[in-house]
Amino acid sequence: MSEHALELSQISKEFGGRTVVDRVNLVVPKNQVVALVGESGSGKTTTGLMALRLIEPSAGRILLGGHDITSLRQRDLKPFRRQMQVVFQDSYASLDPMMTLGEIIAEPLAIHAIGTASERRDRARDWLQRVGLDGSYATRYPHELSGGQRQRVSVARALILGASVLVADEPTSALDVSVKAQIVNLLQGLQADMGLSMLFISHDLSVVRSLADQVVVMLRGRVVERGPTDRIFANAHHPYTRALLDAVPVIDPTARRRRTFLTAEEINANTPRFRPEDIEPQPLVDTADPQLVALAGSHFVEAIVTGGR
Amino acid sequence: MRLVEIEDLVVSFRQFEGLVQAVRGVSFDLQSGESLGIVGESGSGKSVTCSALLRLLREPPATITAKKLVLGGQDMLRADKRALASIRGRVAAMVFQDPMTSLDPVFTIGHQIVETIVAHKRASKKEALARAIALLKRVEIKNAEAVVRYYPHQLSGGMLQRVMIAMALSCEPAVLVADEPTTALDVTIQAQILQLIKDIQAETGMGLIMITHDLGVIAETVDRVVVMYGGRVMETGPVEAIFAAPLHPYTRALLASIPGQQPGKQRLTEIPGSSPNPANPPSGCPFHPRCPIAEDACRVTTPLLETKATGRAAACIRVPAERVAA
Amino acid sequence: MLQFIIRRTLSMLVTFFVVSIIIFMMMHAIPGGPFDGNDMPLPDNIRARLMAQLGLDKPLWEQYLRYMWGVFHLDFGVPYQSPGETVMGLIAHAWVPSLVLGGLGVLIGAPIGILLGMAAALNRNSWIDYLASAIATLGLTIPVFVISTLLILVFAVWLHWTPASGWGEPRRWILPIMAYAAVPMATYARYARSAMLDTLNKPFVTVLRAKGLSERRIIFQHVLRNSAIPMITIFLPMFVGIATGSIFVEAIFRVPGLGAYFVSSIQKRDYPLEMALMLLISALFCISYLISDVLYALLNPRIRLGGKGR
Ligand SMILES: Nc1ncnc2c1ncn2[C@@H]1O[C@H](COP(=O)(O)OP(=O)(O)OP(=O)(O)O)[C@@H](O)[C@H]1O
Ligand SMILES: Nc1ncnc2c1ncn2[C@@H]1O[C@H](COP(=O)(O)OP(=O)(O)OP(=O)(O)O)[C@@H](O)[C@H]1O
Ligand code: SF4
Ligand SMILES: [Mg+2]
Ligand SMILES: [Mg+2]
Repeated sequence: MSEHALELSQISKEFGGRTVVDRVNLVVPKNQVVALVGESGSGKTTTGLMALRLIEPSAGRILLGGHDITSLRQRDLKPFRRQMQVVFQDSYASLDPMMTLGEIIAEPLAIHAIGTASERRDRARDWLQRVGLDGSYATRYPHELSGGQRQRVSVARALILGASVLVADEPTSALDVSVKAQIVNLLQGLQADMGLSMLFISHDLSVVRSLADQVVVMLRGRVVERGPTDRIFANAHHPYTRALLDAVPVIDPTARRRRTFLTAEEINANTPRFRPEDIEPQPLVDTADPQLVALAGSHFVEAIVTGGR
Repeated sequence: MRLVEIEDLVVSFRQFEGLVQAVRGVSFDLQSGESLGIVGESGSGKSVTCSALLRLLREPPATITAKKLVLGGQDMLRADKRALASIRGRVAAMVFQDPMTSLDPVFTIGHQIVETIVAHKRASKKEALARAIALLKRVEIKNAEAVVRYYPHQLSGGMLQRVMIAMALSCEPAVLVADEPTTALDVTIQAQILQLIKDIQAETGMGLIMITHDLGVIAETVDRVVVMYGGRVMETGPVEAIFAAPLHPYTRALLASIPGQQPGKQRLTEIPGSSPNPANPPSGCPFHPRCPIAEDACRVTTPLLETKATGRAAACIRVPAERVAA
Repeated sequence: MLQFIIRRTLSMLVTFFVVSIIIFMMMHAIPGGPFDGNDMPLPDNIRARLMAQLGLDKPLWEQYLRYMWGVFHLDFGVPYQSPGETVMGLIAHAWVPSLVLGGLGVLIGAPIGILLGMAAALNRNSWIDYLASAIATLGLTIPVFVISTLLILVFAVWLHWTPASGWGEPRRWILPIMAYAAVPMATYARYARSAMLDTLNKPFVTVLRAKGLSERRIIFQHVLRNSAIPMITIFLPMFVGIATGSIFVEAIFRVPGLGAYFVSSIQKRDYPLEMALMLLISALFCISYLISDVLYALLNPRIRLGGKGR
């Protein structure tokens, strides 16, 4: 079996008796971008933070580059911390208000004792420029920035160590289309040149479409569909995924419409049904419970398998 | 009725390098029932403009000057603390860009909505709580009865964003200023929230100022668009006209870089060059270092923004007046 | 929450025992014993008998166990310096002046400091801000015994407003209370200022303003409550820190409190009294940490309810 950059198996999280992530399986192959999309509150952030052991899972296993890191102590995690970096969804809260941007971006280097102070400063300036900010921003403080500028600082800090696995939670939500393009291109470049693997959590389906190799769709703590990006966009099977794709606003003010949305009941009523012969690999378990079933082309969907046998 | 009038707003911050102008002469207005979208470069002064309108910037380090800064008929530059407190939340409510740091971490969600309602309305705590729950349901938070007892850290980013929207709507403001109100929402919930805002506008004539980078949301929601760059307004006009025939080179470049127009993995279109540094802004037209059709004059003259009868205006010396008026 | 308190209590007990062992060993590691004073040398055989009587000839661990066994029964032994009393009895009457003066000092000093710090934070760079930081700096850098001496000099010697020292009628309490209040006032003026400034810079404060809440409500409800969280953590440890300051204050103002015994017990190698005082202080420390931890958790929902692991 080949090692994946990141692998979550049967991972769950409960908060005060409420299950917010429910037996999720998720694989980020080496050098690929896997996008995690889905309903707001469905557990995407929680899943991403569990992958980094920033939230402790209630059950399940986490493998980083083939190593089981599920129950390592924080101290033993430190070497792994260097390989995996994170861009938090709340970029503002994750920036220390007392530090200048230069210090914030260089901090990971300082933590891992890389380079001299002046080398670190130069690299921080370099990264400021790579995320489209002038080097003079190095002496500013987080509260003096616009939303998008702060988000870019978080991205720069996450990338400066040259991590091999990045969990990026909405890293482009506050960016204008041009800067967004710049960051997405930067990430693509790192994927191509440095073999970066990434779990990319986003509501922005157009970015997902241009960046991701695979898409995983979550709904209420469960993965309901996953597959190669093109297949998901062209041939989604789950009603929630379809509703999501249909609801993308159209960039034409003359074509306004009431966007469709499905209620939870409608989604449940429309859970796809397959006969066993539609499914790969044959034969498959026969059960009335919704579960992920495999379709052609590494495409999986939560579905009910009917008839057969 | 005119709800907002801003004329020649200038906002500067005192900084290490000296005064930095974040907003350099912005003007626009808003009628009741109208929706105005503000789009533009990250760091172009959109949020600062709206915070200045509600006088929410700390002065100093900020300094605000304007020929006119009027909100709901009140001169915001002359209003004292008490007048400001009664305007904010009631005349104009604001949804902030960063939902995850916008709530007080040591009070429950319910408490924070209730205190807003009680500050402006004659309502008992109980009535206010019932109203808070009803509002949360309207923004698609299903288990609202439980959520009012939650603390902010127990909610997801998108749920907090919806809480902020519910809170802003709780006192039926005449103007809603929404700074990136849907960035943390999936598109189905986004659609419902935008529909909710439209419904409220139809019911009460609420005016909307919406800042967003999502041009799809702009196309779908607003009547008029203000395009900002480098602290200035580059172009304004009715939304259909802006999308159908953008006049200003920056607007055109912006629309051309919308991602995901074709399927497949791909590099995205960037606008070449880098954003202006507000500490050291370019002379003349702020867009000239990146403008594909810039000429020498652009470096010297600062183009004016003159609104024509069509409601359009473009701050570019190379856009002929006839096209703006067409 | 209950689980949290139980866990904390257990870990506190462990800490307490470790500390007691360390204190016990350190005391006995200091060379010399109670009968080594050279003003009245004892014959060897009498000395050995006394040592045996007091159990000082046993191995250290046995002495320790015996001692702790006594402690469990609230029996701290008999002070060598006044064999007519028990250590318990001695502490019981000596702690009253210490507690009254120290307690009043903190209860007066801390709130004044907090108010000063708040006023400073709300009027940054005004005269009140400069006054507050001057007071904070002076209070924290000038040693307590210098402050005490200064107080005596100004109020008793020059102005003749108060008696210089002693214990008895409340008029005599004024100066020692002022001396005791100096440190908490200075600490809080500093701490409250920076905690308030920190909170005032948080984005949610702008949101509260944008909701149209009155400035008073924003400050006294939201900002204060948020700033209280870091402030609580220093309150009780500081309270105990006062105890060590008491050595100087009580010596200078000649107050018959615990502070005086501290010095004499160490000088005279009065193991039982020394040990009891040290244990008392470490117990106070442990308990105060426990209380401030619990208060901290109560005020901070992130800790109380568990949350994002950051
Ligand atoms: N510390 C916590 N305590 C209790 N519940 C929590 C906690 N953190 C998250 N939750 C709950 O877990 C669920 C999933 O949250 P999560 O932040 O993972 O969602 P998300 O998919 O990232 O949503 P969004 O797109 O809105 O950011 C939510 O219902 C939230 O209320
Ligand atoms: N408190 C402050 N002190 C100094 N400079 C500031 C302050 N707040 C904002 N700025 C600067 O003012 C400029 C405009 O900021 P603003 O937040 O209005 O941008 P924006 O258009 O909302 O951008 P975004 O889309 O990224 O949110 C930025 O260059 C920012 O760095
Ligand atoms: S004024 Fe000149 S530089 Fe500015 S947008 Fe027009 S053509 Fe380009
Ligand atoms: Mg999230
Ligand atoms: Mg902004």
